[in-house]
Amino acid sequence: MHAYANPTRFLAIAKPLTPWLLGVGLLLVLGGAFAGLTMVPGEAKQGETARILYVHVPSAWLGMGGWTSLAVAGLVQLVWRHPLSGIAARAIAVPGMLFTALCLATGSIWGKPTWGTWWEWDGRMTSMLVLLFLYAGFIALTNGDANGAGGQRQGGSLSRGAAIYALVGAINIPIINRSVVWWNSLHQGPSITLGGSSIDKTLLWPLGLTVLGFSLLFGAIVLMRMRRIIADNRVAARLRRLADDEGN
Amino acid sequence: MTGVISGGGQWAYVAAAYILTALLTGGVLWTSWRAMAKAEKRSDALRKDRK
Repeated sequence: MHAYANPTRFLAIAKPLTPWLLGVGLLLVLGGAFAGLTMVPGEAKQGETARILYVHVPSAWLGMGGWTSLAVAGLVQLVWRHPLSGIAARAIAVPGMLFTALCLATGSIWGKPTWGTWWEWDGRMTSMLVLLFLYAGFIALTNGDANGAGGQRQGGSLSRGAAIYALVGAINIPIINRSVVWWNSLHQGPSITLGGSSIDKTLLWPLGLTVLGFSLLFGAIVLMRMRRIIADNRVAARLRRLADDEGN
Repeated sequence: MTGVISGGGQWAYVAAAYILTALLTGGVLWTSWRAMAKAEKRSDALRKDRK
């Protein structure tokens, strides 16, 4: 892992990987969405609205997966002080928040024609809303670190507080996952588990395409944001050196 | 059909969900790409000046 602690080594992989993730991700998402909208039949009970599944489930997966990755990056930063872990955590926050917001919005749009309401304060929806606020708090905290009296943190690393916040926030992830089992909810129970899927195979395959496609797009966004932070750090370091040279 | 709204009216909700997803994902992809390209261009220019 420490072999990739060097940003130059990381960039040698990230630069060619970014367009691949973008291109393949877009193809899979477009293919999955096309299949989900035109090639599969409507669901027996929910009719056409079940097609929202193909954008709602990837958003939920990436909102939760994003915070899990962010917490792992926070742990790596705290324990090993890996130079790229803080940069990765900061890069994950915005796409993680985006997909959490999309999960809430598409879920709400799905809820209205299915349940008759846009919103219900039940365990699943409320814990997902808490995740959205956690992302917003993390972004505010890291922006505050970067713009505070100390200026840009060394190499884009996280403050100790932000890393601990990421770890503590991870408690919400199993709560979201188990919420439909622990509490009565309008939201359906888990449809896809390690033991299999209760969704018919004719409806399931486009979901595989959109989950994989959106995951690749998420990866592309994270790499682009990491590259931006590294470039900004290099500019700041060069400007500092130039100022030092002129001062001497 | 257990849904509150059935028939053709359902497609409006499906379209809204897909359009919102496309707009927000496209927006974040575009702004991330633009910010990265701008920052890397600035970094490369400074490195060339230094040489």
